[in-house]
Amino acid sequence: MHFDTSVIAQNLPLLARGLELTLLLVAASLILGTAFGALACVGKLLGRGLLYWIAVGYIALLRGVPELIVMFWIYYCGPLLLGARLSSFAAALAAMSLYAGAYLAEIFRAGVLAVPRGHVEAARALGLAEPFVWLDIILPQALRTMIPAFIGVVTIIVKVSGLASAIGVAELVYEATIVSGQSYRYFELFTAVGACYFALIFPLSLLAQRYEAARARRLR
Amino acid sequence: MAAEAIITCEGVVKRFRGFVALKGVDLAVRAGEVVCIVGPSGGGKSTLLRTINALESIDGGSITVDGRRLPGSGRDVRHIRREVGMVFQSFNLFPHMTVRRNVALAPMRARKLGAAEANARAERLLARVGIAEQIDKYPDQLSGGQQQRVAIARALAMEPRVMLFDEPTSALDPEMVKEVLEVMRELAGSGMTMLVVTHELAFAREVADRILFMVEGAIAVAAPPKEFFANTADARLASFLSKML
Amino acid sequence: MDLRPALTARPPRSAADGHAATVTATDGAPGRRRLRIDGTDVVSFVLGAAILVAVASAIKWSFVATLDPGVLLQYWRPLLRGALTTLAITGAALAVGLAVGILLAVLQQLPIGPARWLILVYVEVWRNTPLIVQLFWIHFGLPLLTGISTTAFASGFLALALQSSAYLADIARAGIQAVPRGQWEAARALGLPAVSLWGEIVLPQALRVMIPPFTNLALSFLNGSALLGLLQVGELMTAATRISDYTFKPIEVMSAAGLLYLLLNLAIGRAAQGLERLTAVPR
Repeated sequence: MHFDTSVIAQNLPLLARGLELTLLLVAASLILGTAFGALACVGKLLGRGLLYWIAVGYIALLRGVPELIVMFWIYYCGPLLLGARLSSFAAALAAMSLYAGAYLAEIFRAGVLAVPRGHVEAARALGLAEPFVWLDIILPQALRTMIPAFIGVVTIIVKVSGLASAIGVAELVYEATIVSGQSYRYFELFTAVGACYFALIFPLSLLAQRYEAARARRLR
Repeated sequence: MAAEAIITCEGVVKRFRGFVALKGVDLAVRAGEVVCIVGPSGGGKSTLLRTINALESIDGGSITVDGRRLPGSGRDVRHIRREVGMVFQSFNLFPHMTVRRNVALAPMRARKLGAAEANARAERLLARVGIAEQIDKYPDQLSGGQQQRVAIARALAMEPRVMLFDEPTSALDPEMVKEVLEVMRELAGSGMTMLVVTHELAFAREVADRILFMVEGAIAVAAPPKEFFANTADARLASFLSKML
Repeated sequence: MDLRPALTARPPRSAADGHAATVTATDGAPGRRRLRIDGTDVVSFVLGAAILVAVASAIKWSFVATLDPGVLLQYWRPLLRGALTTLAITGAALAVGLAVGILLAVLQQLPIGPARWLILVYVEVWRNTPLIVQLFWIHFGLPLLTGISTTAFASGFLALALQSSAYLADIARAGIQAVPRGQWEAARALGLPAVSLWGEIVLPQALRVMIPPFTNLALSFLNGSALLGLLQVGELMTAATRISDYTFKPIEVMSAAGLLYLLLNLAIGRAAQGLERLTAVPR
C-alpha cells in the first residue's frame, strides 16, 4: 500500500471546515469554561456556604466522570430534562465548558493561593484598598503562575474536542471519519488528522514547558 | 617505608567546562599510608579523589591503582572500584534499604558473596563502627554521624585495599564529627591505606603520614605533619593555615 | 465579602481544612472565633442560590417525575460487568504501558544518541495527539498498512497501552532523575553491576516517586477508556450506551454509568494512598 496524499488534497476544504469548527469549539469552551472556573474558584476560596459546596460538588463530579459520559449525558439527557431541542454543537460546547471549568477552577485557586502571604499583607499595611490589593498585587502574580497550567488545559480541551464527533459535531475527527469511510483511506486521513492535532498541541506543550522552566528558575 | 605505591597519579588533568580543575597532578600513595589533603574549596581536592575511582574521567595523564591503569577498560574501572572504598560528604546511603542491607549489598552483588556471609560481615563491620543496635533501621532514622559510620562500614564491606574519604565530616553537626573521626582513627591504626580530603587539621596532624596542600588544581605542598605545619615558605599555605587555626 | 481568610491561610489540603481556615478572621478581630454571619456567608448563599434557582427553573420537573430507577435494578449486572471490564482493560493497558515506559526511560538515560531521539519523538507524538485519533488510526488505519486487522478490543487495548507508555516514559524519566546523583555515585563507587544499580538502587527509589503521578495518569486513563465505547469494546461505556439505546432511558443509565466511573475513581485514589503509605520508607 502506498501513502496516497491525493485523497487528503481532494478533501482539504472539508477537513479545513472541520478544523475551523474544532477551533471554534475549543475557543468557545475555553471562554465559557473560564467563567465557570472563576465562579467555582470564588466558591472554593469563600470556603463555606452554599456556593462553596456547589463548587466542591461540581469539581469532584466533572473530574471524576469521563468527558465522553458528560458529553453523551448532556446530548441525550439535556433535551429530555430541559424539554428543549439541543444541537450537538451546543451539547458539546456545554460539556467541554463544564469540563474545562472544573480544571480551571483548581488552577485559578492554586494561582491565587501561591501569591506570597507577605505581599498581600504588605499591600494592606500600606493602606491599599481591597479591590486594588486584588487588581495590583494578587491577580498579576496569580495570572503569571497560572500560565503553564492554563496552557495545559488548552491542550486537554483540544484533545477532548475530538470526542464531539461522537455526538455528530462536524469537527475535524468527524470529517475525517466521513471522508475515510467513503474513500477507505483511513490510514492517510487519520495520519493527516493526527499530524494536524500534533501541530496544534505540540507548540502549546513546548510553550507550557518553557514557562514552567522559566518559573522554576525564578523561584530558585 | 619502602612499600610499593598502590596509587600513582601522573600528570592528571581534569577540565570542566571552561576551567581546569586539575593541572597535571603527580601523587604516589604507598600501601598502609594515610594521606590527608587540605586546602581551600575549589582547589581540586575532591576532584582528585573522584578521579581515582573513576567517578570523574580524566582528560590527561594517568592514574594507576593496584596495578590497573586509568583511563582504562570497563574491566579495569570495575576492578579499581572494587578495591577502592569511598566515603562521601553526603553519606549517600541507600534510603530504601535497611542499614544491614546497605552494607551487605555490594559484597553480594560485586563480590558474589553468599547472603549469610554478607550479612555476617555487615554485622561485624557495623559492630566495629558502633552501629550494632541500629542494624535493622533505615538510614533516615539515624543521625548524621551514625549514617556516616554506616557509610564507612559499607565501603569496608568490599574489603578494599584503599579508602577514599571526601570531606566525611563536613556535613555533620560538630558533636557528631568526633564519633566519625574516632572510627577513621581506628581504621588508620589498623593499617588501612587512606586518602582523606578534610578540613579537620587537628585530625590530619595526628593521623596523617603526609599532608598535601592543594590549591588551584595542583599540589603546592606535600610534607609530613610536623614539617607541614612548620612550613612558612609557601605564602598560600601560611594564609590558609592562619585562617583555619 | 471576604476571600482573604482562605488566602492568608496555608493552601487548604481538603474541604475540611479550607473550612477551618476561615474560622479565624485576619483583620478586625485577630484570633477570635467568629460565629456571626458575615459577608462571606451572604455572598456564598446568594450566588449559590442564584445558580440553584437558574438550574431548577430550567429543568422540566414534570419529566423528572417520570424517571424510572427500576431500569437499573433490571440492568445492574451488565453495567457492573462493564465496569469490571473497564477496570481490567485499563489496568492491563497501564501495566503494559508502565513496563514499556520504564524501559524507554532507562534507554533514554543511556548515551545512545539516535535511540534518545527516537524515544523522544515517540513520546511526544503519543502525548500530543488525541486518544480518539489514535484509536481510529490503530483500528481503521493500521490494518490497511499492515494487513493485520485487529478486533475492537485489541485496538482499544493497544491505543490505551501505547499512549500510556508515552506518558509513563515521561513520568519514569522524571522519577529516575529525582534519584539523587549521590545514589548513582555510591553505587558506582561500590562497584555494583549495572543490573543491580538499576534494579536495586535507582528504580526502587524512582518507582516510589512515580506513585502520585502514576495515580493521576491511571485515573485519567480510567476515564479516557470510556472512549473505547465508540468501538463497542464491551466495557462500561459500551454497556451504558447499549442499555440506554435499548431502554430509551438515557438519564437513569448514563447517570448510573457516570456514578460507577466516579466510584472507581474514588476507589483507585484511595488504593493509591494506601500504596503510598505501604511503600513509604521509615524515617
